[in-house]
Amino acid sequence: MVRFEDVALRYGTGPDVLRHVSFHLEPGSFHFMTGPSGAGKSSLLSLIYLAQRPTGGRIRLFDRDVHNLSRKETALMRRQIGVVFQDFRLLDHLTALENVALPLKVVGQHDAKVDRHVAELLAWVGLADHLHSYPPTLSGGQKQRVAIARAVVSRPSLLLADEPTGNVDERMAVRLLYLFEELNKLGTTILIATHNESLVARFRHPVLRLDGGRVTVTRATAPVRPDKGSAA
Amino acid sequence: MRRRRNDVPLDRDPSGRHLPWLVAIMVYLATLALVCAVELSRVAVRWDTGLSGRLTIQIPPPNDDEATKPPGGQGALERVIALLLATPGIISAEVLEPDEIARLLEPWLGAAARSADLPMPTLIAVTVDRNSPPDLARLGREITAVAPGASIDDHQAWLGRLRAIVRSIGAVALLVVGLVTLSAVTIVVFATRMGLSVHSEVIELLHLIGALDSYVARQFQSHVLSLALRGGVFGLLMAVLTIFAVWSVFDGRFEALGALVRARGLEVAAVAVLPLAIAFIAMMTARWTVLRTLGRMP
Repeated sequence: MVRFEDVALRYGTGPDVLRHVSFHLEPGSFHFMTGPSGAGKSSLLSLIYLAQRPTGGRIRLFDRDVHNLSRKETALMRRQIGVVFQDFRLLDHLTALENVALPLKVVGQHDAKVDRHVAELLAWVGLADHLHSYPPTLSGGQKQRVAIARAVVSRPSLLLADEPTGNVDERMAVRLLYLFEELNKLGTTILIATHNESLVARFRHPVLRLDGGRVTVTRATAPVRPDKGSAA
Repeated sequence: MRRRRNDVPLDRDPSGRHLPWLVAIMVYLATLALVCAVELSRVAVRWDTGLSGRLTIQIPPPNDDEATKPPGGQGALERVIALLLATPGIISAEVLEPDEIARLLEPWLGAAARSADLPMPTLIAVTVDRNSPPDLARLGREITAVAPGASIDDHQAWLGRLRAIVRSIGAVALLVVGLVTLSAVTIVVFATRMGLSVHSEVIELLHLIGALDSYVARQFQSHVLSLALRGGVFGLLMAVLTIFAVWSVFDGRFEALGALVRARGLEVAAVAVLPLAIAFIAMMTARWTVLRTLGRMP
């Protein structure tokens, strides 16, 4: 699903943000990614969702080398990836419903059925009363849930989440993690970058630990599905 | 039901306020230029049709030595008339009365045109069979033989100049339409580039969730089409009102309406299609600009 081989990333002429990063996420796996602030977690995720190209090494996604992708192929590959951005990246001029429906609209689906599906999803994340609210009127936690709903609405093959529980209380964080687990059960590969160590401990999935630009992989002590969670 | 809304909030851009007005002005100018060219062309055709098939033969007045001879060189006139009537392809030959010639000259010469002292040529208006016209060169030689100094005018020199003027005005009108189109393209290119720059974060997000460049281009092209259509239709309406007003002032009556009713379908269609054509060009320009700009990105 995702394979990094000796990957390096540098912005401009600055120092390496990532170096010699190698790991492999198998299809259907569920991983956390942890590390101190500035360790490069967001940068690593941005490489996976193809917002950046590595300055060294090789990345393979869905069994394809990302170096040779055309713009169209990149777009089509991104449709298989759901992303929860740390800064949400909601469109302020669209309602919560419209924001969540955006990935479906982009692929040509926009009808009443889609609206119902999106409304159900928003209700599931506790935003049934905010379907037609605009992001500037929502709290940080509510925006985060809209962002999560948008990331999962198209049932992506790969879900990347950058601190998806940073702005919600523990109860909602657990609830959202259950949502990710449900998606994982349906076959979605999950990678969640988080600082929340208690959440990591509670759900016991393998962890990519990022520090000093390098990745180490620790297996969960008691994985929920040891047959699925693996990393190399 | 959810209201369809652009994912890229282009409605709030300054271009949204200015583009319709710019397109309106351009369509206004282009419409006036086209209508002027078409109207002049129609006038020229009318004159051309009216004058073709007609000749004017001018027999000069007798000089001082011949002053004692019968006025107008009557003998020459009779010989010319006889020659004309005997020539195949001549339908009629009518001698213009001195009063009529004086009336024709009066705008330039004033009352002096009616002076008996003023030597007047004799003019013969000849109607020619358009289907089998006579050989004008030969006819000219024969007329000169029977009436030395006589000249034959088939109005072609004057009509040629008229046609050249009309062709020039038509070319200028086309140039105006071309420049207007070029201006529209330039304005749309700049407005679109500005929109791409202002909304780069939104566009980046659309890309990150899997939007193709063509999806982003559709956002821009539908926005530009809507603005250009609004501006174009307004510009056309203003141009039509101006034409009515100008014709009304010149004619003192509402003849402009009659002129439009008389206008050929093709001419009306050409004017009506103008805002649509400009809007279509603007839309395609926006699409091309977006695809080209995004295509250059890594």
